[in-house]
Amino acid sequence: MTTPDLEALSAMTREYAAFQARKSGLATALGGLMAVLFLTAPMYVDALGIRLMGRYLLEYLLLAPFVWLALKTILARVLYRDLGKVKGIPDAAYERRRWFWILGIALFIGAFLVLCILGFASGFLHAIPAGACMTMPSLGALWLPLLYIVPTPWLLRGIEEARAYAVLVGECMLWFLASFLAFWSVRPYGSPSMEIASTVVQIVLVLLLLAILIWSALAMVRGWKEHREYLALLRTLPRES
Amino acid sequence: MGKTETNPKTILDLDRTVHEPARLAILTVLASAEEVAFLFLQRVTGLSKGNLSSHTQKLEAAGYLDTVKVFQGRIPVTSFRITEDGRTALRAYHQQLRALLPKEGKP
Repeated sequence: MTTPDLEALSAMTREYAAFQARKSGLATALGGLMAVLFLTAPMYVDALGIRLMGRYLLEYLLLAPFVWLALKTILARVLYRDLGKVKGIPDAAYERRRWFWILGIALFIGAFLVLCILGFASGFLHAIPAGACMTMPSLGALWLPLLYIVPTPWLLRGIEEARAYAVLVGECMLWFLASFLAFWSVRPYGSPSMEIASTVVQIVLVLLLLAILIWSALAMVRGWKEHREYLALLRTLPRES
Repeated sequence: MGKTETNPKTILDLDRTVHEPARLAILTVLASAEEVAFLFLQRVTGLSKGNLSSHTQKLEAAGYLDTVKVFQGRIPVTSFRITEDGRTALRAYHQQLRALLPKEGKP
């Protein structure tokens, strides 16, 4: 029997259990990739006009966080369990941090919607006239982002996952506002709104988009690195005697 | 008797169920998680199926682990959990062994 020392055995077990409980590896990388795709896809001039099965492309893009959650769940069932299930010892501090992120996402969505309402009330935001672009009613759609909060307690297992979800949801909120709810100009709908948005708004948006791009790149690297760590862990295990 | 001298009785007091290398490895792995699948335990300890079964049976008989058997579809899956007695025995074994070993720098 070639048994590694006891400290290494313990570390390997904890590491393997972490992959099943909170490390998402390739799912994080996928989240980064999706964040880049969904950031750049609607930037094409004609993206708003593309229709698929009677609906606009952007309407499908808003489902991105749910698509990622579904793909992540499938990946978690397929990957990181080559040697069966290992349930880690619950970590109360980590669990608190996870809930902090879930609460943060909920607060972000809540604050975003409150700001939207204030924007409408102050006249900074203007509702898209019904039927002008999308099939959905404009202001009536305000409650829809709340759906992003619903699956979080069950499906976000780790902090890396919560980060990826927060970025995807943040992006979707931007597109959601731009496509369904409002434009921030006094010009009639149909003129490009970015063109006449105030310089501050434009700078804030560019910084936000840059931050998303940087995070996405880091997430892809981190996810891939985690996946490699898992493969390395499998390689260090002794062969069956 | 000097402080550094080893009391032979203490060596004989070591829990032999835990002292056996394979069983010590099994208990160490189980103590690092809440529940561990048979397959993982087998790979991480490097034991054969038969050997692992035999050692886990001994540990179960000593009350140091519980066997959990569930079905995933039609496939039976065996997992193990360390019991509170198992944790206590492992901790006690570590303490005993540490006390028995000479301090660093002393023969």
